[in-house]
Amino acid sequence: MKFRLQSLIVNLVVFTLGFLSLLAPFVLPQARNPGFSSTSFPITVSLIIVLCVLLTLFEVQSTGLDNKMIAFLGVLIALNAGLRFLENAIPGPAGFSPTFFLIIIVGYTLGGRMGFLMGAMTMFVSGLITGGIGPWLPGQMITAGWVGQSAGLLHAGLKRSRWQGKPAEIILLTIFSGVWGLLYGAIMNLWFWPFLGGASGQSWHQGASLAENIGRYTAYYLATSLVWDITRAIGNVLILSLMGRSVLRIFDRFEQRFSFQIQREEAK
Amino acid sequence: MSVAATWVAWLVASMILLLSTRNPIYLALVILLLFILGARQAKAKGQQGWVSQNLRFAGTMLALSTLINALFTHTGQTELSALPKDWLLIGGPYTLESLVYGAINGLVISALYLLFNIFNLSLSIKQITRLIPRAFRPLTVMTTISLTFFPAIQDRTHQIREAQLIRGNPMKKISDWLPILMPLLVGSLEDALLLSESMTARGFHVQAGQKQNRITLIGLILAVFAIFSGWILRLFNYPEWISLLLYTLGGATIILVLAAAGRAQNVTSLHQDEWRSRDLLAFTLLVAAGLFLIYALAAELNACFSYSIYPRLGPPEVSVIGLGLSLIPGIPILFKRHD
Repeated sequence: MKFRLQSLIVNLVVFTLGFLSLLAPFVLPQARNPGFSSTSFPITVSLIIVLCVLLTLFEVQSTGLDNKMIAFLGVLIALNAGLRFLENAIPGPAGFSPTFFLIIIVGYTLGGRMGFLMGAMTMFVSGLITGGIGPWLPGQMITAGWVGQSAGLLHAGLKRSRWQGKPAEIILLTIFSGVWGLLYGAIMNLWFWPFLGGASGQSWHQGASLAENIGRYTAYYLATSLVWDITRAIGNVLILSLMGRSVLRIFDRFEQRFSFQIQREEAK
Repeated sequence: MSVAATWVAWLVASMILLLSTRNPIYLALVILLLFILGARQAKAKGQQGWVSQNLRFAGTMLALSTLINALFTHTGQTELSALPKDWLLIGGPYTLESLVYGAINGLVISALYLLFNIFNLSLSIKQITRLIPRAFRPLTVMTTISLTFFPAIQDRTHQIREAQLIRGNPMKKISDWLPILMPLLVGSLEDALLLSESMTARGFHVQAGQKQNRITLIGLILAVFAIFSGWILRLFNYPEWISLLLYTLGGATIILVLAAAGRAQNVTSLHQDEWRSRDLLAFTLLVAAGLFLIYALAAELNACFSYSIYPRLGPPEVSVIGLGLSLIPGIPILFKRHD
């Protein structure tokens, strides 16, 4: 109970600060104040996101990780990083990535916290392997983490329904993965867009309406990311609908095998 | 120059420089130095085509940034052409100033990308993993497991794929992945089970729910709030010293709580980075240059870092101090690479 409360507080803090930072150009027009250097905007947002990721990772590692989970996730993350390379073996269109499939399945079967860890660490390890460490990585880590975390919430919601183990479960997971395919790109653009989108204090003046700002972002998103994200969403939908049931069965089997507890023997 | 701390100092100092200047002359100089340094590091690693690959990226970024800014920002006095004002978002005058502003943004983005690209190129995966604070030991173990298993998983993928090809699986559609993924997944999870048992047998144990962890967590939450508040207050034009105070408090709290949590972890560090005299010299030089850069920014020395394009485009100013500080990203060029 104590751990659940702790987890809830950390998640609330991370979600609030993470989203407020990413949505600052919409909700705080001062984010484009002429007196404030727009160059530092994405880096400051990245820094706050790094801290949010660290906070969540520390909370999860201090309450939810044991040897089994470390080994389990470590191997799965390696597998997921390997799937990125499989992309090259079986060519797909730009934006298509099989990475989200396992993140969603892990979050769905092992819960939101493990899902977060799987998402965030997959991006980190992939970054290490592919030389992709940079200011974009914190955004990738937290967004992929949220993909896994929300899959855990989806499972919690479905638990009470009678849909588990039925085709409706896979249909829901498929829709969920498609939505995240689009959302991932939209969220990832947020830290970067104010930087790219125009002159400080000129295109985004104080008092500009939320609708106007959303309109500008939509135009930017349509011009630069939509095609890419649609491909990702279609890829997610295809992979989950074709492989979701079989992989879920394997995870259910291994979840039982991993559910034993090792207890320390008390000294006599 | 191959010690991780030196490259971190280089990254931090160069990033401060890039974040504080919009002067296109300095930015061009920084990018030139980064290309020279990157080409050298790539050659040392035996990587072909690094320069052309990154030139393509920088060119694309420059073009994209210029185009987007010119399309959506209709400010400036030098009008090049115009679309009817009632056209949603793209309607209005197209100005030289917004084109140049976009191009400068593109230069900064390209420079940032090159900076991290060279950082990745210069350090081994092991060195980067070692930069993870000791307080995150379980996650470091997890990362190490992933990095260790990765080649084995790639080999296994290759073997399964070959076996499937022999059996007549064309491997062209997404559904053809299933016969690869299933054995790969089952085999990997069996490995994970064995690994966790052997970790337990060898005495690796993660202690959960300690009091220390709770203190660290509270400290981290307060620190994140302090830094976030400093940023928000800065956005609302509150006095700068309040933000600086909050940043310092937040940063110091993070360092202190993570150091305390790290001390509680028993970790043996093997294969430490070897500091040679040239590493020490490079590190000292980079730290000194970084500190001078911060001083120049705080004391508002005539470094001509800022460059205002609006309302009318004019030539950027250049100063000796500014030019000197723009050489910071090129400092590693002075030192020979050794492994």
